[in-house]
Amino acid sequence: MSLHNEILIAKHLNKAIFKNRAVPIIIIFIGILLLYATFSGWKNYTNQKETSEKYQHESREDWLNNPDKNPHRMAHYGNFAFRKSTSLSMFEYGMEPFFGNAIFLEAHKQNSANFSEAGFSSSMMRFGEISIAMVLQILFPLLIFFIGFNAIATERENGTLKLLLSQGVSWKQILLGKTLGIASVIMILFIPIILVLLLVWMLLQNFTVSADEILKMMLFILFHFIYLLFFCVIAVLISAASKTSKNALVSLIGIWLLFTIILPRTTQSIGAYVYQAPSKIEFNSAIEKDILKQGDSHNPNDLHYKAIKDSLLSVYKVDSVQKLPFNYSGFIMTEGEKISSTIYNKHLDTLLQVYAKQNSFSKAVSFINPYIAIKNISMGLSNTDYDSYINFQKQAETYRYDMAQKMNALQIKYISNKKQNPTDTPQTINKNYWADVQEFQYEPKDVFTILKNELLSIISIALWIGILLFLIKIAYKNLKAI
Amino acid sequence: MLVLLFKNFIRSRGTKIGLLFLFLICFISLLIGKQFQEKQAKNVQEAILYQKEHIAKNVNFHQDDLGLLLYYLKFSLVNKSFPVNSLAIGQRDVNPSIQTVTIRGLEGQKYDAELNNPNNLLLGNIDFSFVLIYLFPLLIIAFSYNLISEEKESGTWKIVVTQSQNTFLYILKLFYIRILSLTLLLTIVLAIAAFLLNIPLNISFLTFYGISVLYLLFWFAICFFLVSLQMNSNFNAVILLTTWLFLIIILPALINTYIVNKYPIPEALELTVKQRNAYHEKWDMDKQETLDKFYTHYPQFKNYLLPDKEFSWLWYYAMQQMGDDESAKESRDLESKLEQRNQSSQQITQFIPTLHAQMQLNEIARANLGNQLLFLKETKQFHEKLRLHFYPKIFDDEAVNKQKWDNFKVETFTDKSKINLKKTFLPLVVFNFILLFLGWLNFRRKNI
Repeated sequence: MSLHNEILIAKHLNKAIFKNRAVPIIIIFIGILLLYATFSGWKNYTNQKETSEKYQHESREDWLNNPDKNPHRMAHYGNFAFRKSTSLSMFEYGMEPFFGNAIFLEAHKQNSANFSEAGFSSSMMRFGEISIAMVLQILFPLLIFFIGFNAIATERENGTLKLLLSQGVSWKQILLGKTLGIASVIMILFIPIILVLLLVWMLLQNFTVSADEILKMMLFILFHFIYLLFFCVIAVLISAASKTSKNALVSLIGIWLLFTIILPRTTQSIGAYVYQAPSKIEFNSAIEKDILKQGDSHNPNDLHYKAIKDSLLSVYKVDSVQKLPFNYSGFIMTEGEKISSTIYNKHLDTLLQVYAKQNSFSKAVSFINPYIAIKNISMGLSNTDYDSYINFQKQAETYRYDMAQKMNALQIKYISNKKQNPTDTPQTINKNYWADVQEFQYEPKDVFTILKNELLSIISIALWIGILLFLIKIAYKNLKAI
Repeated sequence: MLVLLFKNFIRSRGTKIGLLFLFLICFISLLIGKQFQEKQAKNVQEAILYQKEHIAKNVNFHQDDLGLLLYYLKFSLVNKSFPVNSLAIGQRDVNPSIQTVTIRGLEGQKYDAELNNPNNLLLGNIDFSFVLIYLFPLLIIAFSYNLISEEKESGTWKIVVTQSQNTFLYILKLFYIRILSLTLLLTIVLAIAAFLLNIPLNISFLTFYGISVLYLLFWFAICFFLVSLQMNSNFNAVILLTTWLFLIIILPALINTYIVNKYPIPEALELTVKQRNAYHEKWDMDKQETLDKFYTHYPQFKNYLLPDKEFSWLWYYAMQQMGDDESAKESRDLESKLEQRNQSSQQITQFIPTLHAQMQLNEIARANLGNQLLFLKETKQFHEKLRLHFYPKIFDDEAVNKQKWDNFKVETFTDKSKINLKKTFLPLVVFNFILLFLGWLNFRRKNI
């Protein structure tokens, strides 16, 4: 099959587009915008990385440098989990500005992830930020529509369309050619920027990137490429179906507004409206109540703990806890930590289910809105999506629990059970034990987990390819020259 | 003539659909505002109830140890949300409107985040301010981009020119009709809002209305200017949409990215790490040293001497106090960084009417960074008040039952900052005036 005619049409359209004096200006402008986005993404990423690494390291040193002390003191001294960005988040900020960056991890207590960028910003933050992903996902489609709306409609208006068809050029060739023509203009921007991105990305990591990261980057580029082609096809189809170029323009602008501005916000708002999430106070007080029901280790008269005490006493055949062969309060705290964290996790799961339901609306809408589909995929790949955040919090909580229980175990084993007099010096264990608790390492999800999570969005992209091919087929059967 | 023009305008199907759609989405925004309002009120009710139960329960558990009791007791401070907040939710969904603190070190509690679904935050609310800032301009553009140009393209312009003596007046009338329809729609929606959300008709609501009207006029002024250039419809549509894109998507995003990068906030992490160490290291240090520092801060407690015991609440709370005292510099640094961010955003936004309008609406709604900073300051005072009240009682080891626990209700902070009318209105007025003047010049020069 020869594509001679298609290429001719594409070249012709490419020339026609560049005849418009505004187009080079717009392209240069978007190019500058992309460079700025790269620069600020790079700066943001290195800032975030340096800060979180610095304090992660510093707080680790602090932890290790603690002198000999009671392990329970160390459990309260606690550790920090700092969220680290992945390299792709240079180009896609996703929800990152709304994530808390640090969680203080201590015994008995699940603290919130604090210090999100948004919490420290004026409401201007809500207008969004400039990133590569934002330019590719929001501005590029509009640019495609602006240069593509008259691709066919104008030819219809001047009557050249009839001429073309009467010369034996088929509708299929016209549609394909016009799509290629628009795509060729877009590629003038897309290809250089991808090269710059790759360079900056490699440079920042000193040219040592893992296979996982390479795969993520390749997918990021591939999906954006497909996404932009969608809009080229949509522009051509609408232009072909419209009587006048003005109608085509208005329809395309409408589609763009619907996809990028109105639908995302509306669907998420509906989700949040229908499924109300509890407030922090409601959430915490529910947990507190449940813990009290199970037993409160800090309450000396609690029934649950009294039963434990009685059974211990009878098993070891002693008459007071001081005579037990291990540290009793360490044992009780182990039990308390277990109960409270089980209850907390149960409540957290319920809360996360509410969030998942809220998000289900906009997830479902990705089937009719490729913008949401690509956004979800690119946020997933750059580890800045909802799942990554929950994943970070869960990893931090697991780490916290292990740390607290390790300290409790040390207390059970090494701290004497004898009741101390008020004037005794406190019992301590050697500081070398502190190194037993490993440093918190946040592990971002690997590419296959991400693809599995974002299956819905990927199916939606595949579906869109199908729909558009189908529409093209219908189009060249039904389209008229006038 | 005017009536005929109006009939012609309103009869068009596009107009009807546009107005209806906008009204519908306005109404949805009010429902969302209503839900927000109810949720805020419910949170406050819960906080009040929770605090009462929480105090009663813990007082019951720890009847013989006031120091231990206050280790646990939490007290809440509410950042009052005004009814008009439901129209502009601003940052009130990101930042907690209720702070709950114990009398232990404040710095470790002050920045505790609200529970949130980050997806909701990312995509944002459809509150009324969103509809006003984003969607009203689109309808204004849709209504006015093809004035004159459409008539020229369809050839009816010549008829208009021959039939009316003053074509400029004719154009003004066309705009007048459109301005009137949309202002009317705005007024109806805000009237419904006042009724539905119980917004009192006070100065802040009137200012809110004033900004909204001026903001609509700003977009009409842009359209007026563009129509005055007398280009074709397609060109107008592209330019107007690009202007919209610039003012609502690109410029705000650029400025935001600039501010975030210009004022990074490593101070926040510095502060957390510092306050943790400052408190915890005291466990392994000489007790008297800690107490001496405590006496320097609070000379009034000098008479409470360190008891000859391994553990005492005096020493414990002195250690907690040191967590705050020794990280005070970092805390001030963070605060001033946030002030800087707030100020520089305000300075820049004056020159971008869309951002200016949004920020002003949020300011009226007490939902901006400024309000959050005031609330944090108030939290500090609230916490200090509690400390000063309980410290001597703990040090004296007063009986738990002797305390008047009923007095410790949830307190409310009311942001009383005044609205600066000049600062609020002037930028919009100036922009409108310039655009109208330039448009008028164009019309005169081109002599239509």
